[in-house]
Amino acid sequence: MTAASTAPAAEVETSPRGPKHRGKPPLSEGARAERKLAFLLCAPAVIIMVAVTAYPIAYAIWLSLQRYDLRFPADRAFAGLSNYVAVLTSGYWWSAFGITLLITVISVAIEFVLGLALALVMHRTILGRGLTRTVVLIPYGIVTVVAAFSWQFAWTPDIGYLANMLAEGSAPLTGQASAIVLIIIAEVWKTTPFMALLLLAGLALVPDDLLKAAQVDGAGPWQRLTQIMLPMMKPAILVALLFRTLDAFRIFDNIYILTGGSNGTGSVSMLGYNNLFRAFNLGIGSAISVLIFISVGLIAFIFIKLFGAAAPGSETEGRR
Amino acid sequence: MGEPVNSTLRRSRGRPLAVATCGLLVAAAVAGCSSGPAGPPVLNFYTPADNATGYAAGAEACTEAANGRYVVTQQTLPKAADDQRLQLARRLVAGDSEVDLVAMDVTWTAEFAEAGWIEPWPEQAAAAIEQGTLEGPLETARYQGQLWAAPLNTNTQLLWYRTDLAPQPPQTWDEMIQMSEALHDQGLPSYIEVQAAQYEGISVWFNTLLTSAGGQLVSENGDVLVDDGDAARKATSIMQRVGSSPAGDPSLSVAQENDGRLQMEAGLAAFQVNYPFVNASINTPPPDGGGGGTFIDEQGRPTAEDTGRRVVDVFAWAPYPRVDPDKPATVTIGGLNIGVSTTGGNQDLAFEAAQCLRNRENQLTNATEGGVPPTLSELYDDPAFQAEYPAWEAIRDSLESASVRPKTPAYTSISIVLADLLNPPAQIDPDTIVPRMATEVERAVNSEGLVP
Amino acid sequence: MAVATTGSAKSKWAVANTLVLIYALVPVLWIVSLSFKPASTITDGNFIPREWTLENYTQVFGVSLFTSALINSIGIAIIATVLSVVIGTMAAYAIARLRFPGKGLLVGISLLIAMFPPISLVSPLFDIERALGLFDTWPGLILPYITFSLPLAIYTLSAFFREIPWELEKAAKMDGATPLQAFRSVIVPLAAPGVFTTAILVFIFCWNDFLFALSLTSTERSQTATVAIANFTGASEFAEPTGSIAAAAVLLTIPIIIFVFFFQRRIVAGLTSGAVKG
Repeated sequence: MTAASTAPAAEVETSPRGPKHRGKPPLSEGARAERKLAFLLCAPAVIIMVAVTAYPIAYAIWLSLQRYDLRFPADRAFAGLSNYVAVLTSGYWWSAFGITLLITVISVAIEFVLGLALALVMHRTILGRGLTRTVVLIPYGIVTVVAAFSWQFAWTPDIGYLANMLAEGSAPLTGQASAIVLIIIAEVWKTTPFMALLLLAGLALVPDDLLKAAQVDGAGPWQRLTQIMLPMMKPAILVALLFRTLDAFRIFDNIYILTGGSNGTGSVSMLGYNNLFRAFNLGIGSAISVLIFISVGLIAFIFIKLFGAAAPGSETEGRR
Repeated sequence: MGEPVNSTLRRSRGRPLAVATCGLLVAAAVAGCSSGPAGPPVLNFYTPADNATGYAAGAEACTEAANGRYVVTQQTLPKAADDQRLQLARRLVAGDSEVDLVAMDVTWTAEFAEAGWIEPWPEQAAAAIEQGTLEGPLETARYQGQLWAAPLNTNTQLLWYRTDLAPQPPQTWDEMIQMSEALHDQGLPSYIEVQAAQYEGISVWFNTLLTSAGGQLVSENGDVLVDDGDAARKATSIMQRVGSSPAGDPSLSVAQENDGRLQMEAGLAAFQVNYPFVNASINTPPPDGGGGGTFIDEQGRPTAEDTGRRVVDVFAWAPYPRVDPDKPATVTIGGLNIGVSTTGGNQDLAFEAAQCLRNRENQLTNATEGGVPPTLSELYDDPAFQAEYPAWEAIRDSLESASVRPKTPAYTSISIVLADLLNPPAQIDPDTIVPRMATEVERAVNSEGLVP
Repeated sequence: MAVATTGSAKSKWAVANTLVLIYALVPVLWIVSLSFKPASTITDGNFIPREWTLENYTQVFGVSLFTSALINSIGIAIIATVLSVVIGTMAAYAIARLRFPGKGLLVGISLLIAMFPPISLVSPLFDIERALGLFDTWPGLILPYITFSLPLAIYTLSAFFREIPWELEKAAKMDGATPLQAFRSVIVPLAAPGVFTTAILVFIFCWNDFLFALSLTSTERSQTATVAIANFTGASEFAEPTGSIAAAAVLLTIPIIIFVFFFQRRIVAGLTSGAVKG
């Protein structure tokens, strides 16, 4: 056991060399077999993903280029990029965009710090670790809509225990700034465990011996965290941040329940929902969806290209 | 039923199998549709979740009355009107042949008609519906000179107030605001409760104030009239004053129907404009209702002590407050209409079933058990109805002078735009909001640009 | 044996654990508390009910739709999780271990799907499922769930797999193990923790979904519990369904807790000391 615990750590260091040795000859029989196996393994995933989403995505893009309002079926016509112009010149889009960005940045930042702390506690604690880990999964597992209801009831004057702690007569869900704070609290509470889980996976890859060695060399807890643990956890951190940022940017359920988007708290997803499913304007609504998609794509691009987050496969490719 | 599904899916790893699976499922579905015994045609009646049991009872009664010529099956839609409308629209756009009858909110008539989702009523059936139905509800079912639906039930708002705090009910909004502020200065319950959250309710409030002041939002031809004259200015300045009054409810900008009722039952509100369900609620023991509300002391403040006097003892109703002291308020009408879908196969039977579903007996059951006022005028003279609705006279009067929300296919967009502009009411600037409103409503009517 | 602990360190961890417990449990306990409050005190704002009642629970099960919805939720989420993890593991293994052209394309497709706003896909999916007869069936929900959880599964699993010291497999083979033995005794124990973590993430994703369930189901054949809750009405027209929602929320949370407890040992053994320390 102890032997095994040191050996892999050393292997992790040297693993980039491993694949390099393999597969040097361009199309050896082994390489061809490897390729065939890879195709077989990936086929189910590719088939199901393409089958379920290709048509809907293409359809959404096609709709975004048309004037198409369900209530005026006779007026349907190709409209080029005019829906995009309408969205991008609209104050509604930009204010929703700003709110979404604000909520995303603040909540992901808080989630990272809290999630790291949570991951450290889960990783290191000895007393009741099973209980801690189980309990932490509950906020994550609970249905978003239901958690949002819990917060809404809690902040409603007279009904809620939290509202009763505030000054008499305050209704925190009715002001823009306070409502956004409450939305962020609900979002952070719900998703920090997700962040912590992914970070915990990264923490597990930091060898204890390395930390012990550093401790012997006189490194303090802060130094061990910033010099050893965080750099070694970088892939896990970037995965966690990437997933949460993409998710947070599309925030919907919490806002929908807590404020319904009133008092200037609507996100871009709320805007898309309202145009698609309340105004029945499929053209404009689809254009908003595609723009959200592009925004999210940009965020992913920034993470992968600028910070070097590992898109699956890309890192191994880079190593070769 | 999970097992076969599970095993077919597990096998379907490759494309041919997946296609085969889909094919099987299609075959099964088709077989499922056509394999039933050749019994009477089934008419599916889609209704909101609220009072679903009442509508199901109506469907059963009509099935029995049809004597084997058709079967009406009630299907429940979600609780929220927006979700109901979305599900119906999805099915109707997809040409779902299993949608025959739809219970539509009164604001959907123009939209469903223009989109080609519902059939206009044939002359004879239309005449039968018009016979004995109140004019206000009937008006909501008309569009472009034709009848598109049969009024199933209706709704209107009244002023509900506390007689200990206001011995005489206020006649106008001005008066009500003054009374509320005077109560506040004496440290007494002073809230005016009204639906001011960012949703349909605030648009209804605005529409009532606007039409009471002699204005109109949009004509049936789609002309925007909101900025004609000073009615909109009057309406928005009342809303702004109610919203920013120090005597008002701090949560007003998120208040919906139930919030107002709860504040009144908690002894904090002196006035509320709301639907008649608030009266039923306060007179119903918990857990179903407010149980008479909280105890109140000598001065009328809420207290936990058993003073022997509850809110219900000082609870009364009056006509909706006026905007113009000389003209009764024109309260925005609510309720449901039954439409016959264009996608179901048995339109003739559907028209017949719709008439049955809204007949005297079914409307009376819906009114006494489901709490929704009927649309047949004779029922207002029925003792059973009067017993259930002590405020029946005020309700009928209010319905007779009712106003209808704009009859345009784009009404929902207008409502979204209005709710966004008017919420929170405290921040309304009556000087600048009206021209903005005219621009935004114009765009919404023509389905141009975004809704917020 | 991993880290030496002193008394003071122990108490520090005790404090940290308590904080974590409070953080995670207070909002949950609030729903639990609401679910046990009778309608007369549900608006009293007390964190602990002054009176206790089970009436909310009896009411929830009085709604026949809710029981079937709970069964649908459990069945659909479990089937979708198993399939998604199996398919995702295969793909992730290929991505992490094998060289093949089109790897970038696969990664691109899964990222694309993970990024597209689901609300814009719901209407076309509805049309397709109606045409194929999949609307309001279990597969009608399972297929989108697999699809939209696959990017998460592939991403997480391939990150795990890349960190597995595959050279150990070679070492085991050198020591005389057959490829299957090497795979079973070396790779499976190393990979299992990642697979289980992924299974939990995917299950929770499916359990949580509201949008697809709302749009692609309509009757008790396949309607899930999240949708059933949203359609709750009060006991009467003016009774807010607060108590029923809270009770149903608690019931929806119970399977999550059971599930987490069930896999807890695997996660603890795996995630923390598993992958690297063996």
